[in-house]
Amino acid sequence: MARDRGQGDDYTGPLKRLLLGVLVLCLISLFLVWRIDSPRVERFRAQVVDRIVPNLDWAMAPVTSAVNILRDFQSYQRMYQQNQDLRRELQQMKAWKEAALQLEQENARLLDLNNVQLDPRLTFVTGVVMADSGSPFRQSVLINVGMRDGIMDGWAAMDGLGLVGRVSGVGRNTARVILLTDTSSRVPVTIQPSGQTALVVGDNSLAPLIDFVEAPDQVRPGDRVLTSGDGGVFPAGLLVGQLATDPRGRMRLRIAADYERLEFLRVLRSYGLEDLSDPGQLIAPDVLPDDTPSETAAEAGNG
Amino acid sequence: MADRLIPRYWLMRMLYLALCLVLIFILLLPLDILPPSWAGPDLMLALTCAWVVRRPEYVPAALIALVALAMDLLLQRPPGLWAALIVVGAETLRNRVLMLRDLTFAAEWASVASTVILITLGYRILLTVFMVDQAPLGLSLMQLLSTLMVYPLVAFASQSLLGVRKLAPGDLDAMGRRP
Repeated sequence: MARDRGQGDDYTGPLKRLLLGVLVLCLISLFLVWRIDSPRVERFRAQVVDRIVPNLDWAMAPVTSAVNILRDFQSYQRMYQQNQDLRRELQQMKAWKEAALQLEQENARLLDLNNVQLDPRLTFVTGVVMADSGSPFRQSVLINVGMRDGIMDGWAAMDGLGLVGRVSGVGRNTARVILLTDTSSRVPVTIQPSGQTALVVGDNSLAPLIDFVEAPDQVRPGDRVLTSGDGGVFPAGLLVGQLATDPRGRMRLRIAADYERLEFLRVLRSYGLEDLSDPGQLIAPDVLPDDTPSETAAEAGNG
Repeated sequence: MADRLIPRYWLMRMLYLALCLVLIFILLLPLDILPPSWAGPDLMLALTCAWVVRRPEYVPAALIALVALAMDLLLQRPPGLWAALIVVGAETLRNRVLMLRDLTFAAEWASVASTVILITLGYRILLTVFMVDQAPLGLSLMQLLSTLMVYPLVAFASQSLLGVRKLAPGDLDAMGRRP
């Protein structure tokens, strides 16, 4: 204790401190660059992830399946209960199937009458979930399709039933899907049958908030929530989930997609979207008239 | 000891790197996609603190920075900030090594706890200043607490299983110098 701490380091001490300062400075400046020019650094991050995570896949896939098998094994205890539940649900499903078949026939007849062409561009690419975000604070998954397969930023990802999230960050072989539950996720939706528009706001819980409903008395728990296509980020009419209320009376979304078993994701190809290259700008269609700057300025001043 | 092919401190540096890689691997496994209602400990931080306090030469600042930056990038954190704070925190602990060597484990724990708490606070404050979306406060606090709780375990495991012991007064360190 009585010894001088710096003893023996008379020459290396200042140099070490200098190098340490440079190191910390580099890290801080990386953070600042990220804050200022986020898309570029995020692209770099996507490349790093793209380089590293597929290399781990040979080990990740077996470990993941082993753990899942173990969990399934535990669930054998609840098998009888599940069997009963499934049987009951099957009964209900049969009724629904009958209804669906009738509707399908009716729909086919009507389409035939109208000679309607369904949107041929709404096709999808299916990817396998490789990794999750690895942190309790971010909700995202990494899928094994990327730029190579033509995936682009902003496309919608669904499981078989409902919307799962949005592609954000594309590498060559991988793409990251930000889930609806992430705190940075915002999706414009309509609530049917009342047709109210709202925003689904992720808050790191399993049931995201539904906010900005214009007339909250017109919507009820159990209403269907679909994407509205506002802002041109998502195609309209994708199933998102059902409305529910939490004990504090706030509206929340019961997500239709099965987040407990996300294995395969469909990424919907949707061309003609807004290009999300700049952060923080208003997302607006390209066709806004450019020749009326004074009016828009006046409107902005009013608003 | 000195005539080994690879010096022991290089082996231990490799071991630290390998442990951190295993940790990242486990974190990335797509097992729980549901948003968790609790947050586990930041094992990398606990491991780094435990090693810095015991054998500072096993975990040089550059190695800590490398691992922390890789975790920032892979785990979707704002890149660089958490890494910078961990490096600074580890250096403050490193400066206290000589003092901590003679004290009890409780003193070491308190010292590490204060550092970890300051890092976490600083992180949240800086994120607020730069207006970055951040995790719910509850989860952050839970992670902080569990990190502090798990620290004795990590320290014990490092000491007994991995052989990362404090130097007794008068020993030579792994570089052959008298610290």
